[in-house]
Amino acid sequence: MPANRTSNRTASRTTARRGSPQLRLRVGLVLIAMVLSFFGARLVQLQGIDPKSYAAMAAAEGVQTVILPAERGDILDRNGVPLADSIQGKMVIADPVMTADDAPAIAQILSAGLDVDYFRTLRALRGREEGSRYEYVARRVPSTTATDVLAQLSEAGYQGVTTEDDPIRDYPADDVAANVLGFMGTDEPLGGFERTFDQQLAGEDGTARYTVGGGNRVPLGENSVVPARNGEALRTTIDLDLQWFTQRVLAQTLQKYRAQSGVALVMDTRTGELLALADGPTFDANAPLEADKEDLGSRALSEAYEPGSVEKVLTAASLIDAGKVTPRQKFRVPALLHRQDRPIGDWFDHGNIKLTLTGILAKSSNIGTVLAADAFTPQELTTYLRSFGLGSRTDVGVRGESPGILTDGDLMTSQTKDRVAFGQSLSVNAVQMTAAVNTIANGGVRIAPSLVQGSATTDEGVEVGTDHAEATRVVSEQAARQTARMMERVTHEGAGVAPMAAVPGYLTAGKTGTAQRVEDECGCYDGSTTVSFGGFAPADDPRFTVYVAVHAPQVDGGGATIAGPAFSRILGYALGRYGVPPTDGKPSRLPVEW
Amino acid sequence: MSSPATQIRHRVPRIAQEAVERARLSVVPRTRTRAPKVPFVTLVSLVLVGGIVGLLLFNTSMQQASFAATALEEEATNLAAREQTLQMELDELRNPQRVATQAQQMGMVVPAAPTFLTLGGGAVEGVKTPATPEDRLNLTPPAPVKPEILAPAPTIVEVPAAEVPAPETTAEDEAAAAAAAAAGTTPDATTDARKKNRTRR
Repeated sequence: MPANRTSNRTASRTTARRGSPQLRLRVGLVLIAMVLSFFGARLVQLQGIDPKSYAAMAAAEGVQTVILPAERGDILDRNGVPLADSIQGKMVIADPVMTADDAPAIAQILSAGLDVDYFRTLRALRGREEGSRYEYVARRVPSTTATDVLAQLSEAGYQGVTTEDDPIRDYPADDVAANVLGFMGTDEPLGGFERTFDQQLAGEDGTARYTVGGGNRVPLGENSVVPARNGEALRTTIDLDLQWFTQRVLAQTLQKYRAQSGVALVMDTRTGELLALADGPTFDANAPLEADKEDLGSRALSEAYEPGSVEKVLTAASLIDAGKVTPRQKFRVPALLHRQDRPIGDWFDHGNIKLTLTGILAKSSNIGTVLAADAFTPQELTTYLRSFGLGSRTDVGVRGESPGILTDGDLMTSQTKDRVAFGQSLSVNAVQMTAAVNTIANGGVRIAPSLVQGSATTDEGVEVGTDHAEATRVVSEQAARQTARMMERVTHEGAGVAPMAAVPGYLTAGKTGTAQRVEDECGCYDGSTTVSFGGFAPADDPRFTVYVAVHAPQVDGGGATIAGPAFSRILGYALGRYGVPPTDGKPSRLPVEW
Repeated sequence: MSSPATQIRHRVPRIAQEAVERARLSVVPRTRTRAPKVPFVTLVSLVLVGGIVGLLLFNTSMQQASFAATALEEEATNLAAREQTLQMELDELRNPQRVATQAQQMGMVVPAAPTFLTLGGGAVEGVKTPATPEDRLNLTPPAPVKPEILAPAPTIVEVPAAEVPAPETTAEDEAAAAAAAAAGTTPDATTDARKKNRTRR
């Protein structure tokens, strides 16, 4: 008990020293209130003023968001061989703050491993601008190469070089079908199918978010993945090897005759699929910047020109279908035909000659064709030509297609009609012309040409492809067969003008064309010509239609001598490649003269 | 004390008092069977320790799996990239241009027309046309056209300085002069060249 008393006494003494309990309580209360009000203010600041940014900062701590790049769809040929494919690539990036000191050593490793210029790399490593922390060293490096080089760098103990995803678009066959395929810019497609079907090819990038600790994912941390949707492949009707061969033959022809440009097409007669569509001059799709800008598109579709005498085939077939003439019908062809505004002449000098309709086609007489076409009114002629597909777009899926020009029958003067009958005063694109000639090969049924297998939607929302290829009857089967028989005489030694266009051993039907050409700049006939040859084989059971047109050759020659041999080689190669043996049919014996 | 039991007890003669006393019922004290504490505590501790250790092991194995997953993913990415690179190289090797170049180096030529051999009878269909060196395809693109004189001699034009007032040279003139100097032409040809340039434009 005495101890208690002592402590009481001590307590009372301390109380006296600290002041009264009430005072102490009040002071304490005020202090607590102050501290609590600070807490409260902070709470309002955190939760009331901008709660989301803090939440985001907390979430971002250790959470990594990675973009999963979608793989761009391949463009395939008809056999599934890639014409354009995508592979994983990396861009190599330097942080000059970390690399500047060791720049020469790092540049040595990089330039050796990545095949880039040493001095350019050196500049990137030292920073092209003051304070830069992000410099491209190389772009579109195959992933494996980039990884190897980075491993070398880290082995040598250098830091500051990193990689990021940067997919590579590769065209394994370089210039083959480049004009149709188009090409890619740094990040976006810049032409051809790449651009037209970008929506299908591109796919959609995905993202992955996960918490990272020490370079590894934290198992129970945030982990969400939106998978990338890869682009879909686009299957074309092009046959890689045949396309290559066609391009080389065309290039050789252009070179030999010093021509400005040219096109060559191969079409499957029965399906209308274009097995080859060659433009010349062409470009390397892997290096589009090295080529002239005007060579980047497809002239076979964008360039309209006057077809010349190949068009006579269409006039003749229409006349036979309408029952106006027969292949053996006799015509007296004068040396010069005086019509309303100017005389019409032939390409070869002759007096008054007696030709059958077959002879008119085989010798390619303008005068004879005009005389035969007199049985047609302008309306009748244009109706037929329109149903052959002239004057309207083929919609095969290539950008910037020219529909050509075909004057309406009502607006056509008789002079224009005369010229249209032998292939001048109207313009076509090469695909239209191929499809029109193919109509004769396919027994009078025109099949819309196609370049895409199945179905695909262009960026303009048009559905194209073999699924949408329509077949329409233009002339009767008999008229088509008779026209084919007449065309056979064109390649006949002695009867026709183009024996060099025949494929040895095959019955070859064809037609030459030599047209006055409209010069682009002056918009007038400048004396240059467009020489062409269109035809098919075997004539009695056609499998392939080939059309070759050469613009502005600087060496004298016509459709037979310039385009004919190229036609023969391409057609011969196609027949051999697809195993089409010669038929046993008898050659056409239609009389040429009477 | 009016309970029937006591009354009975009072009525019972007090014989063998002691025995009765002894036989009297009394409440037996409850035996408190105390279970031994040690096993229980051990069990609980074991469960606790086991849980913690298990959780730790589980966590560790998950981490381990995560490491393995990261490593495997990286390997998969590398292998996929490798496969794609090889595929690209294969496609480059399949390039018809390369195949054709090699074939031509070996003396092969694409024939002008195909012939077919029927396997049954051995008959040959088609016309046998010999493949000649003229049938060779020109596989390489034409070489770029070079100017005839690669390093033309400089053209020196001496102008009497004093008599002629200095003409106002425009940038275009200078450019044309430079072009003329490069092409090795005289100033007369320069104007011609300029005219040509204009028409070409």
